[in-house]
Amino acid sequence: MFGYWDALYFVYVFGIGLLISYVIYKWAERTSTGTRRTGDGTKIFLSGEDQDRVIPQFEHFRGYVTGRHVMWGLIRGINRMFIAFRREHTGLLSDYVSYLLVTTAIIVGALIVWG
Amino acid sequence: MMLPYLIIIPLFGAFATPIVGLAGRKAREPWAIFITALTLGVAAELFYTVWKSGEILVYTLGAKSPLGQGVGFPIRIVWEVDLLGALFALMVTFIAFVAVLYSSEYMKHDTGLEKYYTLVLVLEVGMLGIAITGDLFNFYVFLEIMSIASYALVAFRNDTWEGIEAGIKYMFTGSLASSFILLGIVLLYGQYGTLTMAYLAKMIAENPTFTAKVALGLLAGGLLFKSGAVPVHMWLADAHPAAPSSISAMLSGLVIKIGGTYALARLAFSVFGMGVSTKTVGWIIILFACATLIVGNAMAIIQTDMKRLFAFSSVGQIGYILLGIGIGLAAYGSDVGNVALAGAIYHTVNHAIMKALLFLVAGAVIHQLGTKNLNELSGIARKMPVTSFAFLVGAAAIIGLPPLNGFASKWLIYESSALFNPFLAAIAIIGTAFCTAAYIRVLFTFFGRPSERVMNATEPGKAMLVPMLILVLAIIVMGLFPWVISEKVMIPAAKTLENAGAYVTALLGGA
Repeated sequence: MFGYWDALYFVYVFGIGLLISYVIYKWAERTSTGTRRTGDGTKIFLSGEDQDRVIPQFEHFRGYVTGRHVMWGLIRGINRMFIAFRREHTGLLSDYVSYLLVTTAIIVGALIVWG
Repeated sequence: MMLPYLIIIPLFGAFATPIVGLAGRKAREPWAIFITALTLGVAAELFYTVWKSGEILVYTLGAKSPLGQGVGFPIRIVWEVDLLGALFALMVTFIAFVAVLYSSEYMKHDTGLEKYYTLVLVLEVGMLGIAITGDLFNFYVFLEIMSIASYALVAFRNDTWEGIEAGIKYMFTGSLASSFILLGIVLLYGQYGTLTMAYLAKMIAENPTFTAKVALGLLAGGLLFKSGAVPVHMWLADAHPAAPSSISAMLSGLVIKIGGTYALARLAFSVFGMGVSTKTVGWIIILFACATLIVGNAMAIIQTDMKRLFAFSSVGQIGYILLGIGIGLAAYGSDVGNVALAGAIYHTVNHAIMKALLFLVAGAVIHQLGTKNLNELSGIARKMPVTSFAFLVGAAAIIGLPPLNGFASKWLIYESSALFNPFLAAIAIIGTAFCTAAYIRVLFTFFGRPSERVMNATEPGKAMLVPMLILVLAIIVMGLFPWVISEKVMIPAAKTLENAGAYVTALLGGA
């Protein structure tokens, strides 16, 4: 009834997907004008950043995938949420204790009223 | 009966470690591995016995019967093991064995290792005690044994500020949470005059008082803290990354579950299930679960410290487990509730294996490169392919990618939450989207172009690789037979937990 799934179905789907990808890849290779073999087409696309562009003082990161390269779009998109979350993670012991007291008080209150 | 040996063996092993350590390093590590392997064997035998018979094992300390002489109620400490307790005992011993095996190489440059192995074995004793005890004060004692060992192990590497600060914060706040739990137990003892969980369940069912509800509130507050639920999770993000990686694997994989979610579920179902409104308790847990899911997984995305990312991910995964427990309580007695609870139990086991693997991978990276900063680890897959493969499997499993084990447990939770309240399922999916984003960051970093820092990296030794590969194998095998595991173990375990009457009858015999 609930929760039944067969791992093999996913293996079949993965295999078929791989086959389709290979066919599309071969078809694209045959019909392409060669831009993927030379020039900018050969560069790895890293979230819109040009891997050959040298940023002053960040020369040592040139061409590497670093933590800051990935998911920056998501992070920028919902930045306000992250700022709000970060603001609460102060690292102060007194804040940790306050949250514990408030949480316990809320639970005790809810149980007294509705428990 | 093998049950007492589950405590006796690691306890003896812990206190014998300093003496064995006098014989030198070659005796100490094999001793710790031998003790954890033996405990794993006992736990496996115990699990098989309970699973095969379907019975609840009861063991009384110091007498044949828990009942007092001349009185009709239990007065002695009892250990009461059902399928859920036996399953979690097996999980604890397996991860502890793997972590100790890994430590034999990972910790070889550290000093004071006789203290380290003693504390690891004491930590294991505490967790096993919580899984098997049927006495509330005995539960508290084991909880403190586990917690104090954890505080010390977080601050084990005291040559940097990170471990010491995290250890002190963890100790202060953890002690406060423990005092809430103790206060809850004291209130229950004052009200009902007993500490035996099964008998207490009967008393609460007959007369659920105001004091019992306050006690449950204090217990739930303290145990949510120990699970790392939002908003009382902040200690976790400090403590788990600061500990040595083998300990992080045990903390994230086991401690927050046995001392947090398992204890909460056990008390909510087996002790308070027949006395208080399960719907209210369930919804309280669900609300905290939703916050935990979102905040934990979202905070993981913006971390550049790999171990801190994994720690926040643990917070997020605890959200799924709490969601399953919450729905199990709120939809108590229905198929949806049963499946949600089975999903929570399954995800607890799966997450223990996955997160242990990920922390062991992080440990291997730190051991070989001396950094856990994602900005410096580009292209590590070219130099450490086996470690990177282990990470790939662990990350895919934790995201819930089929056909690995994480998918099966998450599927049960999604399915039951969608049937219970579609809004909850949507929150769970958003949490998974954040979780995926967080792990893709690490994945891209690992498989990118090699940076100068990783050029000289090599794979760690066999003693570190083998434990990782054991966990990889466990993930793959569990992923291939999810329906068997679910139907034969997880659903029966959830039914055992739901059946509070059987828990009471096993001890009191219908008295």
